[in-house]
Amino acid sequence: MDPAAFEAAIQLGGPLLLLTVAYITGRFIEKRHYRDIRRREVRWSRLPAVTFRQVPKAWEVEECGLVTGSVVISIDHFKRFVASLRMIVGGRVKSYESLLDRARREALLRMKKDAIDAGYGAVVNVRLETSRLASARRKGQSTAGVEVMAFGTGLKLRRSSV
Amino acid sequence: MKFDPALPADGVNVTPTHPLSELGLLLGGLVALVVLLVAGLSLAIDQLVPRIDPALEARLFGSEAEEVEARAAPAQALVERLAVHWPENPYAFHVEVLDAATPNALAFPGGRILVTSGLLEQTKSENELALVLGHEIGHYAHRDHLRGLGRGVALALVLGGLGLADEGGAAGVAALAADLTQRGFSREQERDADRFGLALVQAEYGHLAGAFDFFEKIAHEGEGRFGHGLAPYLSTHPLSTDRIAALRALARARGWPLVGPLSPLAHPAKGGSDG
Repeated sequence: MDPAAFEAAIQLGGPLLLLTVAYITGRFIEKRHYRDIRRREVRWSRLPAVTFRQVPKAWEVEECGLVTGSVVISIDHFKRFVASLRMIVGGRVKSYESLLDRARREALLRMKKDAIDAGYGAVVNVRLETSRLASARRKGQSTAGVEVMAFGTGLKLRRSSV
Repeated sequence: MKFDPALPADGVNVTPTHPLSELGLLLGGLVALVVLLVAGLSLAIDQLVPRIDPALEARLFGSEAEEVEARAAPAQALVERLAVHWPENPYAFHVEVLDAATPNALAFPGGRILVTSGLLEQTKSENELALVLGHEIGHYAHRDHLRGLGRGVALALVLGGLGLADEGGAAGVAALAADLTQRGFSREQERDADRFGLALVQAEYGHLAGAFDFFEKIAHEGEGRFGHGLAPYLSTHPLSTDRIAALRALARARGWPLVGPLSPLAHPAKGGSDG
């Protein structure tokens, strides 16, 4: 093999291997996460978490408090690579969609878990916030990850009022 | 009010495109775009370069008539003798020696030919050096040094124009595609320069004995151990074995003899630097 071919093999082989590994592990983790998310969504579906700003008149509230759930996500190399290609031509950055979908649902589930642990029977005024975590690289211009936070007001309700 | 415990619908927020098909579409598009741009610009440069007046080139890039180093003198004399057989030559060649062990020669704009000290030390005969230098003169005859320069600029323009500086992965792919495309043009030039050089050697000596020694040496050292594989498509130069075969075929077709007396090469560099 001449030096040019060897050089090209190194140039191409390393990143290609990294992409393949990132793709396989990323897919595996994503599938497993979705299974877990669906399972918990079914389990906690009886806990109302709604966006009302006011407590419905019919509810008799005994106690209330803040409940939060937050998750920090980062992208895998494969998704980043596909997104970097997408950013040339524009359009839906599909590779990030599933990631943020997982993050929002995970944050809501954690908030519900927080509410359940505190003994609340419902959460009202649920909000979602997203913030970017700056990376130390490139003077904070690049992104280390994204935090999705779900929060709301947990309510302890008198029995039979819901 | 009744609470309806509906589960979030799967997939409303996620486009059901397979990630690999997304990758294939985007990657294929980018590579096709870069290859088209680089190939298009290279073809445009090929049209443009012959219109550049060598006198203008000499003014822009030419070095002032410098003294020829003692160790470059035999190569300089050889270049001048070979260039006689190219009557339309507008260049005043100037040979300089570069201290590097790898045997190589390079053609720079304005007629500056750089030969490495490794090349001078390893060549056994004048005939061997003559094909290497004839090859470089061939680059001038075809204005390849300007094409190479132009393609370098085109490459930078394409990659810069796509605005990929910040996009790590995409930039790498684009750069690789652009580089491989322009290497295709480069290999074609090398073949043409080989043919031109061979004609000069034949005109000078009347035979081609010893001329292939240099290519045979690099073929023997660098290639062949792993077979051809992808190398022919990735290198800047054609494979040495292929170059020798092409040149031998040309010699046969023209009826140029492959045997004859070898001319010895003067080695003042050895006496000067070692002693």
